Amino acid sequence: MIWKFKSSRHQELPLSKDSSNLFLKIMISISVFLFAVTLAGVLAINSMLVNWNASILGSLTVQIVPVSNSDRQKAHEEMLEQEQRAVALLSAMPEAKKVTALSEDQLQRLLRPWLGDDVDINELPMPRLIDVRLKSGAEINFKQLAEKLATVAPQASLDNHKLWLNKLINFAAGLKVLALAVLLLVIGVTSGAIFYTTQTSLGLHRDVIEILHIMGAKDTYIAQQYAGRTAWLGAVGGIIGVALAVPVIFLIAHLAHQIEGGIIDEARLSMGSWLAIVSLPVFSSLVAMQTAYYTVKRTLERMM
Amino acid sequence: MFETQETEPIIELEKVGIRYGRGPEVLSNIDLSLQRGSFHFLTGKSGAGKTSLLSMMYLWQKPSRGRLSIFGNNVNFANRNSLSLFRRRIGVVFQDFRLLEHVSAFDNVALPLRVSGMNEKEIRKRVNELLKWVEIDRSTSAITSTLSGGEKQRVAIARAVINRPDILLADEPTGNVDNDIATKLMKLFVELNKLGTTVVIATHNENLINEFKYPCICLKNHNLTIVPAGERKNDMEI
Repeated sequence: MIWKFKSSRHQELPLSKDSSNLFLKIMISISVFLFAVTLAGVLAINSMLVNWNASILGSLTVQIVPVSNSDRQKAHEEMLEQEQRAVALLSAMPEAKKVTALSEDQLQRLLRPWLGDDVDINELPMPRLIDVRLKSGAEINFKQLAEKLATVAPQASLDNHKLWLNKLINFAAGLKVLALAVLLLVIGVTSGAIFYTTQTSLGLHRDVIEILHIMGAKDTYIAQQYAGRTAWLGAVGGIIGVALAVPVIFLIAHLAHQIEGGIIDEARLSMGSWLAIVSLPVFSSLVAMQTAYYTVKRTLERMM
Repeated sequence: MFETQETEPIIELEKVGIRYGRGPEVLSNIDLSLQRGSFHFLTGKSGAGKTSLLSMMYLWQKPSRGRLSIFGNNVNFANRNSLSLFRRRIGVVFQDFRLLEHVSAFDNVALPLRVSGMNEKEIRKRVNELLKWVEIDRSTSAITSTLSGGEKQRVAIARAVINRPDILLADEPTGNVDNDIATKLMKLFVELNKLGTTVVIATHNENLINEFKYPCICLKNHNLTIVPAGERKNDMEI
């Protein structure tokens, strides 16, 4: 019914001259701007969570800590031997897809963001790291694997990333809930503004509405005129809001990618996410239209 | 559901009273039965309750007490949608015209057809025809607020009759026009009446009442009496 605008091509109600139109347009623009930026945050967090979850399920890291020995060279060789034995054991596992022992360069690159360029890493007791990518759906008995590893590489410790990633995931999930609450709040505030401006407008145009009713117009006829006008304001406000939000999202993404360490790097917006953001004017238009339509219907039933 | 039998009154008021807020009753114990195709003048001093009675008849005002039936339906129990459908069959001419000032004369007259969902081609044909008849054809696209009082009155009448209503209620429809146009408009009402429209005209115009011999609904002291055609005395209050 709400879509039936055929009879509303003629606007008997002078809604285009309402002084609240500019207010609504600005209000919707700001709301859509906030909504777009927050939505981008939610979608980025979501992609980060998906990637992190995939990391938990699809990989594990084996660390060979340096052997305690006063002869550093001998200790280093012993550590490399243990690494080779561990790689051989891990590669023989049917669940393993790819086993990679990280090179010195890779280890230095990983540590550089935390230690800076001025520290000579060669002077530090550097552990060896083995990255193991697992086949999809593979289930590992970590206790058994740790015992096997201990026999070939006593200095090996197994890290399936669960502990620290779980904390990050919980934190990110909390952020996501918070962002979703902000989205709901933005929708609520905008709908509230539309509700009150529509009610004010109904009061202003009471005389015209009375005439329409006396001529036999149903409440839906009047509600459609309001819905059409507010949908237009919602679309225009939405386009302005998105146009302002897109550069801001790019700026935030640019700043986020400058943070090294690979954590924020996982937060990327997919094509689908961008599509959701640029289609926000359609959403704002629909929300505005629905709110105005039902406000008019409800108010008229009480008013006349 | 909305059809009345030929013999059934088209409007029926039974022991109807009407009051605004907690004030005294403007109309008390009104009994009135109008047959389909009847023609009545409605007379009474200012404040006698003519406008209240008419507003009840066009279903804007509900009676404070008593029963109001229209087209055989008790409106006390009618829902909003049914009331809208009833109103589409009633044409109303207001004393103050109550036109939409910001739209054209054409759009004002087209209004009852548009709310009924008629297609634009048919609307254009019917509205242009009628506007020509009421001699507004040269200013059909003019914004209503720019029209003269007489023109507005003719637009208001055109709006009331465009839908070929079953009931036509007019409050001083000839108040702002000269005698020639008044007579012409009255003839339009008579023609509509001949086609089966029930007509009630509230007026103070002695000449019209004397020229067109129809019964009078007289309101006095919040009560109503029907004076048959030709029996009205000149000293009766209008």
